[in-house]
Amino acid sequence: MKASFFSSVFYLAQAPGGWPAASTGYSPQDARRSMVTALEQFRLADEVGFDWVTVAEHHYGPMGLTPNPMVFAGALTQVVKRARIALLGPNVPILNPVRVAEEFAMLDTLTDGRLIAGMMRGTPNEYVTYNTNPAESRAIFEEAVSLIRRAWTETQPFGWEGRHFQFRSISIWPRPVQQPYPPIFVSGSSPESAGFAARNRISLGLAVTTVPQAAKSVALYREAAREAGWTPRPDNILYRLSFHVADSDAQARSDFEDSARLPQRMSPIQANPALEKAVAATGYYGTDLSKQRARVLLSHGIEERITAGQILIGSAETVRSQIRDIADKLGAGVLDLVPAFQSGEPTFRSIRLFGEKVRPHLNDL
Amino acid sequence: MTGKAFEERFVEADGFNIRYVEAGSGPPLVCLHGGGGLRLAPAHDILAKNRRVVAFEMPGFGASPENRRSVSTEDLGRTMNAAVKALGLNSYSLMGTSFGSKVALWMAIERPETVESIVLISPAAIREQQGPVPTHVAPEEAAKLLYAHPERQPKSAPPSRELVAKHAALTSRLLGPGRDAPFEARLAELPHPVLALFGTADRVTPPEGAHLFSEALPHCHIILVYDAAHAIDADRPEALASVVGDFLARQDRFLVRETSGLIHP
Repeated sequence: MKASFFSSVFYLAQAPGGWPAASTGYSPQDARRSMVTALEQFRLADEVGFDWVTVAEHHYGPMGLTPNPMVFAGALTQVVKRARIALLGPNVPILNPVRVAEEFAMLDTLTDGRLIAGMMRGTPNEYVTYNTNPAESRAIFEEAVSLIRRAWTETQPFGWEGRHFQFRSISIWPRPVQQPYPPIFVSGSSPESAGFAARNRISLGLAVTTVPQAAKSVALYREAAREAGWTPRPDNILYRLSFHVADSDAQARSDFEDSARLPQRMSPIQANPALEKAVAATGYYGTDLSKQRARVLLSHGIEERITAGQILIGSAETVRSQIRDIADKLGAGVLDLVPAFQSGEPTFRSIRLFGEKVRPHLNDL
Repeated sequence: MTGKAFEERFVEADGFNIRYVEAGSGPPLVCLHGGGGLRLAPAHDILAKNRRVVAFEMPGFGASPENRRSVSTEDLGRTMNAAVKALGLNSYSLMGTSFGSKVALWMAIERPETVESIVLISPAAIREQQGPVPTHVAPEEAAKLLYAHPERQPKSAPPSRELVAKHAALTSRLLGPGRDAPFEARLAELPHPVLALFGTADRVTPPEGAHLFSEALPHCHIILVYDAAHAIDADRPEALASVVGDFLARQDRFLVRETSGLIHP
């Protein structure tokens, strides 16, 4: 099993709620400090043995200061010397897919082939960002993924006459280092997404979910892959959850309780229920509406979150046993790990302890 | 209904009585069909709105007598040039589909001065490796090769087994090898702008072979038509007609967008 260190590079200061968030009281110094802290955490994660580091795309709020994760990943290429750099997303339906293919190829070249190319649909609120109709997001997404792969593999200039994209001549430079192209991950919590990933032999990422729900998605994915004539390996499945490792279980719990005094983050979806409702009304969630909405609105106490496989917390030994439990139930080969909270030194210590005392044991899982 | 505006006519050329259908007025577009014979698709209707579309049924296809005389696509191209001449056309564009792409290219090689531009749809003229051929498989399998979404196609009776066998025998005899060195060498002479369309879901002439055309033709633009199989004109008629129409109207200038992005004045 592999471990990835994920930071959404959130804004480490008090910020207005809601989505989109107003920038009243915004401090460039705090934003700068947030980015520097994230870079230091990524550097540490790389040093202590995380297999990957992950960045994502978030807009218009303090939850993530990486509206273009490609830019942040560009900085990471100079900091992360060994680990793979995973971009989960870009949110491809709201972007120019040719540009996405170009930026990925740049990053694959800068990292000498250490890029993981995630392609996400994004959370519902992201459709407001650049004024995209969420009802069309799945069709746009599938076409964009197809176009990006072509842009990476066609050796002669070509045009594209799509349903949602039209280009007369495409011939991207630089080209990906990994051949034929970097590993692709898509988010796959709905049956439609899992089916799309399986039919296209693309890896599956599961986030903002629970182990029992993710296990259902994995089963759908495996079944659709079987129909498409292939068998996913553990490396084809990524599961995201939060983590906090301390020197003892008691210390970990105490760190967690202290973190309650920090500014609490709300997902953009929780921050604007009216917007979420409007997006749901467009048919964005597909066939599994109630499950999907329940998924994005998850909120539990700490014990429930441990049982559901949403958080790893405790000493290195405890966390190892929590991971074994998840590995048995899910068969995921990559854990994408988000710090459970940002509280300075305890968070850095958690990254170090995970790398030194948990990561070496993952090879056997 | 598809092809409703088209009128059926015949022309005598090179000793053959050649059937064709025609619609529209404006700059002529001469169409050469694929190995399945003349089949009008919604794309032809759209193209005929702005130009004169002349779609031939080449000798030996459809209800025409068996063609034992033509010996190659080059030979058939000479016959079709005679038909074009007999119609009095002296400035036109050519559109060749699949098997018909090779006939169209030979026509342009033989009579380059009358050809404005060339459109190739799912062209089989150069093939890296032989894919499955719709006329060589059962009707249900053929539908899956032709259409990315067979269920969206209007219901129609499949062609008779005899007709399919007749077409298969003729195209196999005439098409020649996938890599035809003397033919490819002649392509380098063509001064015309060429547009070659490939469906992203096509297994018969897959888009992986598109580069062969850019390499062989001096002025070739490749367009991949998303979510279309071999019969692009049926799977994505509006997309085909849009890009082909723009290319026929503007040729190489079609690379530059001219439609406005203005939302409100």
